[in-house]
Amino acid sequence: MLSVLLRIGSKKLWTLFFISVISFGVIHLAPGEPSQIDPLNPRFTPEQLERYRKAFGLDQPLSVQYVEFYRKLFTGELRSFKDNQPVLPKIVERFWNSFPLFLVGTILIWCYAFPLGITGAIRRNSLLDKMTTVVVFALISIPGFYLAYLLIIFVVENFHVDVIGIRTFGRGGVPAVLGLMDRTWHLVLPSVLGATAGVAVLSRYVRSQMLEVINSDYVRTARAKGLDENTVLYKHALRNGLLPFVTMIGLLIPGMIGGSVIIETIFAWPGIGRLGYEAILSRDYPIVITLNFMAAVLTLVGTLLSDLLYMVVDPRIRLEKAE
Amino acid sequence: MRVKQILILAPTLVSLFLIQSYFWVPNFEDQVKGDPGRLTRYIETSIGDASILNPTLAADSASAAINGLVFEGLIDRDLDLSFRGRLAESWDIFEEAYLVVGEAQYLPDGSRVTPDRLLRDLERARAAGNPALRLVEKMEVVPGGSRVEQIEVTAEGPESGKPGKHTVSVTVHQPPRIMFTLREVDQDFFIKLNRLLKGYTDRVDPLRFVEASEPVVTRERAAALVPPIEHNPVVLFQLRKGIHFQDGHEFDSGDVKFTYETIMAPANLSPRVPDFEPVKTVEPIGRYAVKITYKRLFEPGFQTWGMGILPEHLLNRARLREQAIRMGRNPETFSVRDSPFNRAPIGTGPFRFNEWKTDQFIRLTRFADYWEGAPNLHAYLFRIIPDPLTAELTFYAGTSDAYPAQPYQVERLKHDPRFQSFSRLGLGYTYIGYNMRRPIFQDVRVRRALGMAINVQEIIKYVLYGQAERTTGPYPKQTEFYNPKVQPLPYDPEGALRLLAEAGWTRNADGWLEKDGHPLAFTLITNSGNEIRKSVMVVAQNAWRQLGIKVETLTMEWAVFINERVDKGDFDAVVLGWAMGLDADLYQIFHSSQRGHFQLNFVGYENREADTLMLRIRQEYNHERQVAMARDLHRLIADDQPYTFLFVGKSLVLLDRKVIRMVRDADGTLRYLPIVPDKLGGIKFHFNQWIKTAEPVLTAH
Repeated sequence: MLSVLLRIGSKKLWTLFFISVISFGVIHLAPGEPSQIDPLNPRFTPEQLERYRKAFGLDQPLSVQYVEFYRKLFTGELRSFKDNQPVLPKIVERFWNSFPLFLVGTILIWCYAFPLGITGAIRRNSLLDKMTTVVVFALISIPGFYLAYLLIIFVVENFHVDVIGIRTFGRGGVPAVLGLMDRTWHLVLPSVLGATAGVAVLSRYVRSQMLEVINSDYVRTARAKGLDENTVLYKHALRNGLLPFVTMIGLLIPGMIGGSVIIETIFAWPGIGRLGYEAILSRDYPIVITLNFMAAVLTLVGTLLSDLLYMVVDPRIRLEKAE
Repeated sequence: MRVKQILILAPTLVSLFLIQSYFWVPNFEDQVKGDPGRLTRYIETSIGDASILNPTLAADSASAAINGLVFEGLIDRDLDLSFRGRLAESWDIFEEAYLVVGEAQYLPDGSRVTPDRLLRDLERARAAGNPALRLVEKMEVVPGGSRVEQIEVTAEGPESGKPGKHTVSVTVHQPPRIMFTLREVDQDFFIKLNRLLKGYTDRVDPLRFVEASEPVVTRERAAALVPPIEHNPVVLFQLRKGIHFQDGHEFDSGDVKFTYETIMAPANLSPRVPDFEPVKTVEPIGRYAVKITYKRLFEPGFQTWGMGILPEHLLNRARLREQAIRMGRNPETFSVRDSPFNRAPIGTGPFRFNEWKTDQFIRLTRFADYWEGAPNLHAYLFRIIPDPLTAELTFYAGTSDAYPAQPYQVERLKHDPRFQSFSRLGLGYTYIGYNMRRPIFQDVRVRRALGMAINVQEIIKYVLYGQAERTTGPYPKQTEFYNPKVQPLPYDPEGALRLLAEAGWTRNADGWLEKDGHPLAFTLITNSGNEIRKSVMVVAQNAWRQLGIKVETLTMEWAVFINERVDKGDFDAVVLGWAMGLDADLYQIFHSSQRGHFQLNFVGYENREADTLMLRIRQEYNHERQVAMARDLHRLIADDQPYTFLFVGKSLVLLDRKVIRMVRDADGTLRYLPIVPDKLGGIKFHFNQWIKTAEPVLTAH
């Protein structure tokens, strides 16, 4: 088992290395330069610009820059071009801002997708099923920003409360409970919006997975044994139907560092998506590449976790011993 | 069944929990009306956050907005755009001019030049009232000396192989000079003096004063090391006494010098370096005066002293060292750029820094000991809302006090009784530039014809919703440099065709214009991401096609557009815009010396008369004369049409009606006055007097 884990681990490390090279290269190949080197002030002389390039290490060959970059990243010396702040604390701060959105969004997706998908499968072609199908496809197709605007205008016009930002602006010195509830309220709209597409997509998966299971032989056998419908559906069918979704838990992990640029922009949410987006616009390489690298790490950790979980829940799957 | 119950209960509970939180949050009425503190709190929204709260390092507009309240410069601009003293109480601008007195020159009468001899002659001429010396207040001899300098030379030529840089040590024998102190700056001083001395300065050979180990010093290089004549404009600022930084430390001349040094220190990577590069020295004269000497005549240099002044006592070497050690950084490489000061600044301005939550808000509170009296507002909040629609909703809800309307909203909101609105003309203009290296654009008639074919009024009306004004030349319309007598090109497609026919372009059988068998065809390009420029491009293409010109259009990503096409001069015509400053200097955009790759005269404009004017304008310190020359230059450029000048954008700022000015008279009575925009249309000139009233009542005049 340990040797297997080691083998997988070393494979992942190799992958990570290639990802780091590619992401570093791609960003440096993209046209444009950091906004500090591409200034609006026309009185800059080439010598002065050269000084910036030198200070940012951009005058070195790419290979040297690559090594320097990751050395600084791992020693915590890496700084943003924009404001000279260390990159890691900046990202960590944004991560904690985005995390509640991710958490509530994910809870909403999983809470709603399963009941919807299962009912859809059980009552296939009923009116309810058809209606959810229509709604779900509508939700998948409507652009997120449009829905966000509709929702914001609706809530603001009808309920007269603040919905943007992470808390009611300029409200300080309130008791902890009030503060917590205030923050919770500000999570509602963005996380609901962030979850809509997720609910829509996941519920379709659940529905088709359930349908497949319901029509399988062992479910017929269970029914033939005379078990009541609820036991058949929720014990025998659902458990097997759930199997593929276990792997999705692992795939959620990289989402923690993604953040939605659109939702965060509309809701003035100081999250990680906006950080990355603004860094890309101003070619703030340290932020962009670090985020990229972290996303790669989390994706690899996620896939590893999925594999392991699958092994745990499905006895049929076992890693072959190295021969 | 447990599973079934969980599947139903979980979403229900989660939803209930989320929805109930609504009952805990205050609604807008509570926030606006139920909060008396709201009247002394001004909230502004911005689409982007500040980056560095240090005026010497910041280059973005959001940082500038905050720095402008926390810091103060020596000068700023008054309502009418003239200069006004802030940290400086007054200033004097004069000149120190130097004339080299070499060993081997001869005066017109054939006698050898010695410094004392020349000085005596000049004194005599001055006493006789010679007009060349009218402005001279003082003349004295500055003794010479020797110094060694390292200069960098680029080796070239076949014998040195491939070109490389190396430094050469040069001994400079600085000959004695005569220093003239002039009452005011006079760029023609040496021309007049040379007339008096019968061409003396032309006979000075700078090469004689330079000795190098290798024969690498050219005449120009020698002239840079030992300039035969030198203009050194001087600004002498008298500083206001008794001004304190927000931490209580008194402001003095050392802070001015320190600010300058911070900008020029290479380690700080200040984006302000180009503005201060012409400065030669900054010398404190006692605690309350600073003498700024410039290397050369450069009038636009003066306005840069509007830049915020840093507190020396918080950022000097010793303090930086302490900060570096506290943060566990290497004190040797730790620069002002790394200091935590940039996220918690202290200046002399009317508001002091309080809190900064990145990408959420910046809070400033009023500085009670501000030298002009504490502002009326107690707090200023700069809230970051990247999305214009949510910013608009926030404004309607009363949780922010100002909103920059989108062009399409202006007509609707301009007369909305809930708000006061201020329309403002921008400083930048949009134009179509023609690459005059291309044969077809070399004829001014062709450029004029192209401009006459475009209906600019229609572009303003339909593309910009009327939120723009026609412009005829390179200066901002609010400045005096703009020549109001220059008429815009008429919209006249027929006339355009006639002009093109004069230039030899006639329609062929297919209706396309051609000359000597060549069709009139070119490509018009612009950057993607700017819808207005794209629309202008399409309108122009359509207008020109109707004349019979084959026009292709292309948009490309900004970086590619600038680096690959504009900077390299690889284009026919471009739609672009310039953001202008308030100075009269157009040297970099239109001077013929600036036509190289990566320079800003990328259209390749060349006009000798204009070249001379541009040089003289940037060297002229007399405002009236500068204005007169700038207006001539405007006319020249408009006649040449290197660009088709299109329009200047307008914007509308909405403000809560309750925001007014409150002024306390000497006898203590309060007067309430309306907000007055400055000549640029900016509304914050009297920001320190702003206050919000429960009901707006203006004092009658």
